[in-house]
Order: sequence, then structure tokens, then C-alpha cells
Amino acid sequence: MLKYILKRFLIMLVTLWVIITLTFILMVSIPGSPFNSDQSSNETIRANLEAHYNLDEPYPIQYLLYLKSIVTFDFGPSIKQPNQSVNDLLARGFPISFELGILTIIVAVISGIILGILAALRHNGVIDYLAMGIAVLGISIPNFILATLLIQQIAVTWELLPTATWSSPAHMILPITALATGPMAIIARLTRSTMLEVLTQDYIKMAKAKGLSPWKIVFKHALRNALMPVVTIMGTLLAGILTGTFVIEQIFAIPGMGKYFVESINQRDYPVIMGTTVFYSAFLIIMLFLVDIAYGILDPRIKFHRKGGE
Amino acid sequence: MKRLLLFLLALTTVVVFAACTANEDAGQEPEESDTGETETDSNDAEAVEENPGEKILRLNNGVEPSSLDPSIGFDAVSWDPLNNLMEGLTRLNEESVAAEGVAESWDISEDGLTYTFHLREDANWSNGDPVVAEDFVYAWKYMLDPENASSAAFLGYFIKGGEAFNTGEGSADDVAVTAADEKTLEVVLEAPTGFFLDLLTNPAFFPINHRVAEENPSWHAEADTFVANGPFMLESWTHGTEMVFAKNPEYWDAEAVKLDKVHFAMVNDTNTQYQMFETGELDTATIPPELSDQLIDGDNVYIGNYGGLEFFRFNITEEPFQNKKIRQAIAYAINRQDIADYVVKTGVDPAYGFVSPGFTTPSGGDFREENGDLVTFDPDLATQLLEEGMAEEGYEELPPIVLSYNTTDLNKAVAETVQGMLSDNLGIDVTLENQEWNVFAEAQQNLELQFSRSSFINDYSDPVNFLESFITDSYMNRTGWSNAEYDELIANGKSETDEEKRYEYLYEAERLLAEEMIAVPLRYYNTVVLQADGVEGILRHPVGYFDLKYADKN
Repeated sequence: MLKYILKRFLIMLVTLWVIITLTFILMVSIPGSPFNSDQSSNETIRANLEAHYNLDEPYPIQYLLYLKSIVTFDFGPSIKQPNQSVNDLLARGFPISFELGILTIIVAVISGIILGILAALRHNGVIDYLAMGIAVLGISIPNFILATLLIQQIAVTWELLPTATWSSPAHMILPITALATGPMAIIARLTRSTMLEVLTQDYIKMAKAKGLSPWKIVFKHALRNALMPVVTIMGTLLAGILTGTFVIEQIFAIPGMGKYFVESINQRDYPVIMGTTVFYSAFLIIMLFLVDIAYGILDPRIKFHRKGGE
Repeated sequence: MKRLLLFLLALTTVVVFAACTANEDAGQEPEESDTGETETDSNDAEAVEENPGEKILRLNNGVEPSSLDPSIGFDAVSWDPLNNLMEGLTRLNEESVAAEGVAESWDISEDGLTYTFHLREDANWSNGDPVVAEDFVYAWKYMLDPENASSAAFLGYFIKGGEAFNTGEGSADDVAVTAADEKTLEVVLEAPTGFFLDLLTNPAFFPINHRVAEENPSWHAEADTFVANGPFMLESWTHGTEMVFAKNPEYWDAEAVKLDKVHFAMVNDTNTQYQMFETGELDTATIPPELSDQLIDGDNVYIGNYGGLEFFRFNITEEPFQNKKIRQAIAYAINRQDIADYVVKTGVDPAYGFVSPGFTTPSGGDFREENGDLVTFDPDLATQLLEEGMAEEGYEELPPIVLSYNTTDLNKAVAETVQGMLSDNLGIDVTLENQEWNVFAEAQQNLELQFSRSSFINDYSDPVNFLESFITDSYMNRTGWSNAEYDELIANGKSETDEEKRYEYLYEAERLLAEEMIAVPLRYYNTVVLQADGVEGILRHPVGYFDLKYADKN
């Protein structure tokens, strides 16, 4: 077991190193520099700036400096916001993006499952059409359009909720709604179809025959199985939502880290590019690692030593 | 079931992981607790707002300022907050002319080289320290120090020894700025500079409290260490979210300041900030481009000059632009009025010259009006010029022309319009090419583009700021153009001590630039702001930054 964990850990480090190296190569091979602007400047100032951020060093040296910054987990200052360190940006932005992501997932899962069950139970009824109508809308309206519509109707016209920013629970309702609608729709459709399938199974008929209450049949027997596909897609959804909130964060002026992914590359803010990439890849790899270990603990049939003879 | 368990397990780990990160921050970062404070602050503020005594202005800075270190933050998002937190020796007044700031008077030597500033006795920092001459000496040398890599350092080249220090050839001691005594500052310039007092209004020349900065080099990074000497001081700063300014009681002219607090939100989406303006969460907003036609004529719209020009550069090292007449033909074939009215909209003015309106001449006129229109829309003249140009070069057919721009919707629309105009008026087929900003900027700098879009925003309030871009080998030249006569006109336009004469040199330089038509002016920039009822007194200067010193909200 220990050996397996150790081995996995080493593979993890190698994976990270590969990601870091590839990012570095891609980063230096795109043309441009963080110091291009339409504002006045001159060669001396460019040179001073480049020296200040060690960008005048040859690439191998820069690469070693990056490795060093990663090993010590100190990415140095952002080039575009020189009094902020990349560590600060991550430490501030990530908890907010994470909060938004987790709340969104919770809302999407709960509302999606409820819609799916209602639709399945009232198959081909008004509720079914209504629920699936909502689901189709949810899938087909991109979240940034929904976000603007929500702000216009709920915040501007009806003045029920604040327009933007992330400063109180009331501020969170609109962005979470905008972001959760898509995943909710996917979950609702998935729940409905598997639910319909499960409800025709023999063991459900058996449960009905036994005289169990419909509530008990649905929640104790049918739902458990119907949810398996939902759980399966959760991983992808989770990764998508934790990383993909750039647009919503922008629209609602949420100070998360989504913007650093996009802006750092546009601005060639090298330390921030490195910091965000390393942070997210490490985060995802660690999650996968934990899941792999959990598999082994949960299911004894999964052997740690695949090679026989042990 | 097992997978469900597995998922729950993973979720829990994720939550724990996040909780750990968040807790670590809370321990290390003061601003984590600031977040809490700011929330209560803004709640308090809303509660207090009912009380007519408190005047709170809510503005949007768009994004986090790059830096509130006055020597480092060299962009509009840093200048706007800085200009209200701090004050230089001079400050732009209601007429956008440099007037007394921290300095209550100054003497200029006969030769225009030595400036002696007398600082106000009652000019203080927000922590109670007096603003002393040494604070300016410290700040300016800090800006020029190559170690600190300030983007604004070139502004300090006007000071004797400034350029040498910044390029690493001289030392800090050779920079000719000295504190004669606590309240007297002496500056010697490299050459007479008629606009030196204007230059001093730029945040790069603001003082730094040297006692604070020597103790804590990152004094400017957080609200609780920030020391201000302007009308406002930094009360709280939640990075990426909001800055709150409070009236600075230590400011020498605190009586003139009417606002009690200013909130700077950081909302970077034009639609969202407009919607926040509609709900009253912001007192000013910009107009989203899509709503320009509907909103531009409203009563609550402020439209003013903004020192800047959008133009296309020719690369005169590439065919066919080595020929002056062909360059002129293109310039005369573009209908700027249509571009301003139907493409860019938002009330911008078409550019018939290079220097934008808003620069006051020594005789009190406007530079733009004094020097008149230097290029017009004249398709017949354009056709004639093109024919002559092609004959001069012996072209049967014009070599292919590629117009490049950095990718934005507006740049695309303008480029397509110009493409259409050149096709209609000259019969030239121009190919369009767009590139991501950084790639584009690099290519333009290296003269790899043939005909490309540019913009210029003034750093200081003098026409020479723009005109100087085109001197030989200037970093800002980007056209391959070199003209000894022009270089000399600009040199004189910087150092002539007689202002009338200095402007004559600049008029002539601009006319020469138009005659050679190294770049095609398209339109000037402007400031268009929606302002809520009752908001008044915000000074929006044509160059750079706004001033809230006299702002009021009823």
C-alpha cells in the first residue's frame, strides 16, 4: 500500500514537471512581451523592466528560475500588478472561485435531480413537458446571456437583487443561478431518462407489489440506481465549473481567479501564467491521486500490485 | 452506491482542502479580515447615506490599479485613484492648467533651467508628517533608479542627470534635484522645458513620504500602510473588489473638499457597470457601445476631450509607402466624419490633424484650431495624388497593401470601413489582417507590418508629447521615417524658452508630419461619462486623470 502511494506520488511529480515544462515552452514561444503598450516608452525602460523580471536572461536560466519558484512555491510578483505577488492573487482568488463553484454544483445537483424525478414520475404530463422545457432552455442558453438577462430583469427592472460584486449572500444568487442552469439542465435530463428506465425494472414492480409507498419506492429503490450516471458526470462538471467561471466572474465583477487564466496570457504576465497553471494542474492531479487511493480503500477487488507474484 | 460514496469522499476532501487554503490566508493576509470590514463599512455607508451629512460618491475603476506606487503605476487605472490620493508640486486647475499644488510658489531662473519650488507650510501627509522637499527628491530618484524599472522614468529625463542615472551611466547623486531646506526644492533641467510645470502634474512626479518608504518599501500595497498627501486618503482596499477613499483632514486645502467618501468599484464589464449605474449602485458609468445611439444625447451625459489620437501608421520601408504621394492619396481618400459618426460613434470627433484638441496655446487659443486642418476628405485630390505617385514610382499596378490591426470589434469595423473607402475612392484593394494585441505590437515595433493601426494617449499636457514620437530612432516611431528637419523642429519645440516661438516650432513640425503623411490621423479620443443627477464638480482633464477635489454630490 505504502509502496503504491509512493509510486503514484512520484508519477504525480513527473506529470507536474511535464506540465510545467510544456507551459514554459509554450509561454516563451508565443510572440509578444508583457511590456508592449501604446504608451510612451523607450529602449532603456524596456531593458530595465526586462532586467527587473529576469526576462533578459537566456531561456535555460529563466527555466531554472521558474523551477526554483515552483519548488519554493513563491512565484514572485505579477508583472502587470507589481505590488501583488502571484501567491497573493491565488490565495485571494481561489477561495472565491471555489465558493462560487461549489455552491453552483450544489444548486445544480439538487434542482436538477428534483426536476428529473418530477418529470419521470409525471411522464408525458404537464410537469414533464414543463421540466424538460426548462432543461432544453437551460442547455441552449449560454450562461453569459442568461447572466445579462437576469441582471436586466431581476436587478435593474424589478430591483429585487443587487447587480454585481460578491459581497453578501444576496449578491451570490444571480451568478449562481446563471452558472448552475446549464449543469442543472444536463442533470435533469439524465435523471429523467435513467429514472424512466429504472422505474420499469422488475424490482420496482416487485416493490410496488409488496405495497411499499410510492415515496419509499422512488427514494429508496429507484433513485439510488438512477443517480449512478449523474455521479459519473459529476467529475467533469466539477472540473468544468471550478475552472470555467471566467465569463461569469467578469460579468458579475466577482474577484475570483478565472480572469487570471485568460488575462495573464493576453498580457504575457509570465509569473501569473506559471502560477495559475501549476496551481490548477497540481490541484487536479492531487484530486485524481486521492480518488485513486480511495478506490483501493473502497473496493478491495482493485489491487495495488497489478503485477502478479507478490 | 460505491461511486456515490466515492464522490462524496472526493467532495469532502475538496472542501477540506479549500478550507485549509482559506484558513492559511486568514492567518497571513490582513486583507482577508479587511473583506469583512469592508462589508460592514459599505453597510454602514448605506445606512449613513440616508443622513444628508455624509456625501459618498460611487465610481468604477474597472480593474485593480496596477500599482499605487506613484512611480510605478503608469496607466489610467492607477492615475485616476492616485491623482485624488496624492498631489504633486503642481495640480491641474478648473481650466486644466498647471496651478499651485504642494508648491505655493516657484521661481524660474532667467535661462529657464533652474526651478526653485517653495512648499506649503501646511502641506502634510495623512499620517501627520509634513510634506518636505526630501520627499520629492526621494520619489524622483526612486523613479529614475534603473533597479526599480519604472515605466514612467523617461519623464524624468528632463531633469539634469536623469537619463544618465536611468540608463545606468550616472549615479543618483548626479540627478539635479536637491532639497535646499525642508520646504524648498531645487531642480535643474537638462534644457529649458516650457511645459515642465504641466509635467509635474503627472503622478510619476508625486512625492513619496521618504520616512515611511524607507521603513516599509511596500507601503503602497495596502490601505493601512498607505500615506496620502492629496484631497483623499485610502481608507480600505479590498484587492480586486473595492477601494474606499475618505476625505483627508491633513490636506492643506481640506476645506475645499466636499465629499466625505469615494468608493471605487472594480467592475470590468461595460454592460454590468451600466446596469449598476441604472440601479444607483454607481454614480458614474461609461456608455456600452451597443447603447451609444440611445444614450449619447441624454442630459446626464458628459462629453469632453481626451488627449489622444487613433491613426494608421505607414511603414515607409515597404513598397508602395516609400512614396509620399501614395501615402497622401490614402490619407485624402478616407472620410473621417463618417468613421466618427457611424462607426466609432459615442460622440468622437474626426481627426484632421495629429495633435488632439484641448491644448491651450500661449495666446490662449487651442493648438488644433490655430494650426487648422492638415488633411481633409477629398477623393478627387486623392485620385490625382495616386496617379502622380504611381507615375513617379513607375508602377503599372499598385503593390498589394495589407492593413493590420489588433483584434477588437471596433478596430475591425474601422478597418473594414477604411478598406471600403479606399476601394470606392481610389479603386485600391486592401487586404485586412488582424492579430492578437501582443503579437501585433511586437510586429509593428519590428517594422514587420506595412500599414497598421495605432493609438496614442498623452502622458502630459503638451503637444510635443505626441509629435516627439516621430523623431529619428524614437522607440515610438515605428514607421522607419527619419527627417533631420523634423528632429530639429522637435528639439526646438522642447527647449525654446519663448513659449510663442516654441509653439511656432510645434505648428511647423505638425505641418511637416502632415505633409510627409507618415501616419493617417483618423479620430480623436474623448471622454464620455454618464453622471447621476446631483453629481457635479468632477474635473475631467483632457490629459490623463480626473480630479475629485471639488466634486460634490447632492
